[in-house]
Amino acid sequence: MALRELVNKIVPIKEDFSIKSLLGFKKTPLNVLVSFMIVGLILLLVWGIAQYLMHGHHAYNVSREHPWGLLISGYIFFVGTSTGLCIIASLGHVFGIKEFNHIGKRTTLLAIITLLPGFIIILSEIGHPVTMMIYNILTPGITSAIWWMGTLYGLVLTFIILEFGFALRGDHKWAVRFGIGGLIADVAAFTTLGSVFAYLVARPIANGPFIPLYFLLTAVVAGAFFMFMIYGFKHKLNFPKEVEVTLIKLAKILGLLLVVTMFFEWWRMITAIYGGMPERADTMMKIVGSSSFWIEMLFAWAIPFVIILVSKGKAIKALFFAAIPALISIFLMRNDMVHYAQMAPMQMLKKTEYQLAPTWIEYFPSPVEWAIAVGALGVCFLLYYVAEKAFDLDEDEHH
Amino acid sequence: MAKYGMAFDYKLCINCHACEVACKEENGILLGADKHRLWIGESEPVGDFYNLARDKGGFLQHQCQQCENAPCLKACPNDAIYRDENGIIQLYESKCDLSLNCMDACPYDARYVDEKKHITDKCIFCSDTRLSRGETTTACQITCPAKVRIFGDLDDENSEISKILSQREYFTLKPEKGTEPKLFYLV
Repeated sequence: MALRELVNKIVPIKEDFSIKSLLGFKKTPLNVLVSFMIVGLILLLVWGIAQYLMHGHHAYNVSREHPWGLLISGYIFFVGTSTGLCIIASLGHVFGIKEFNHIGKRTTLLAIITLLPGFIIILSEIGHPVTMMIYNILTPGITSAIWWMGTLYGLVLTFIILEFGFALRGDHKWAVRFGIGGLIADVAAFTTLGSVFAYLVARPIANGPFIPLYFLLTAVVAGAFFMFMIYGFKHKLNFPKEVEVTLIKLAKILGLLLVVTMFFEWWRMITAIYGGMPERADTMMKIVGSSSFWIEMLFAWAIPFVIILVSKGKAIKALFFAAIPALISIFLMRNDMVHYAQMAPMQMLKKTEYQLAPTWIEYFPSPVEWAIAVGALGVCFLLYYVAEKAFDLDEDEHH
Repeated sequence: MAKYGMAFDYKLCINCHACEVACKEENGILLGADKHRLWIGESEPVGDFYNLARDKGGFLQHQCQQCENAPCLKACPNDAIYRDENGIIQLYESKCDLSLNCMDACPYDARYVDEKKHITDKCIFCSDTRLSRGETTTACQITCPAKVRIFGDLDDENSEISKILSQREYFTLKPEKGTEPKLFYLV
């Protein structure tokens, strides 16, 4: 009990929280299925990491020409969703939109638990993670977008954990202060992650201001879909009035962002193709010709937008059902973005003695890459379940 | 203190790949198609079978371009990549975290993962092998039977490379990237 008292001094935890309460969920078929799914995903992650520890990058399908793969995109997916959730969490207690006050704590928690799987994934991708941590501090490469991104995400995690802790303690003043810090750091961090690609002068399809802005926009979209998914499951689609009002507001914001995203995509496509610039126009034509691009267009942007437009944002149950394929499409979209940036070969001319003539670089993730990127979702769900049992996430915040 | 560069009389190349073998032998590069510091690019034959032909300049030598404005150097999060006193882009091996940003940033695909040292490796003009022993040539240069490669100090106006660059026209690879390569292809 001493440990419980110690933890309670820092953040209040529920009276009935115990290992027994964690295992004592109602054994309905759905609950049992979800619990098996979480255990399965975590086992998948453990297997993937074990393979990586034994075989290094050989366990992945990355290559000299395509050094970044699914783990980079999995990382972008999780930290991007976290950024979106952090922005949505701030709508209430930072921007003062009162309908969002009551979701502040839960959304901040979601931002934390989506960030952590992102970190697990990236640590499985970096060849020498310990070296990275040491020299990130000792000899910072300040011209490197990766250095800024890593450093800013360290700040983000610190800020949002403190924000969540103070919110649990009911200390609204400090929660808001750290909320503002977390928001600024998070927006800076995720757009900087976009600049990792945007700075690549070697790769015209990625180079330029588009990707950082696109990252920010799609982060909020992903965060909003994540909210619909979590709240849909939590209330089993019987939303209380207060939650319904919030989700309808969120749907309207989402609708606006989806329009902007689709215009973004449109103009990126046209400006890339127009003029026929090598490595840009041909890469974009290749993107437009791929089925995954149209899956993204349809399930991530168009269908949710039509639902919001037709229902004026009120069809929040339909949005729950649209949110799951939308999140899967956004996951694929992140993978496509990373792949498209590396698709055009950097080597010129043919090298018959070594390999086939330079052509579009092909890449499909290995089973280990899938295991780590998808398995990390198990950590996200497990942490959410534990936090739901341990903390009071719905207590009203008072201004 | 020097500013090393290399010029290629690339039309002389007979595509024998002796340079690649010499580089692997001298610098202990692992075997394998994707592990090489330098390689010979080969243009596609033109025409219809059996009346095929190849351009005179059909073989082009590739390796790290030792850029004055090196994207890999800027991209490294740990400041592990640096330019030494001879203008060669080098790596503090203990600092490399294999985040591979340098590989993605390089417009020339010059870097690869050295699985022996667990770092990203590339051509460093034999600086830790031949040059450190006091030699003035690189392994690829001394081995080339067609004398395609001219290596030397660009700051020394009496060096062979300086003289030839002042006398002949040349081009660099992907100049539009603004990387200012120190490898020159003689026309």
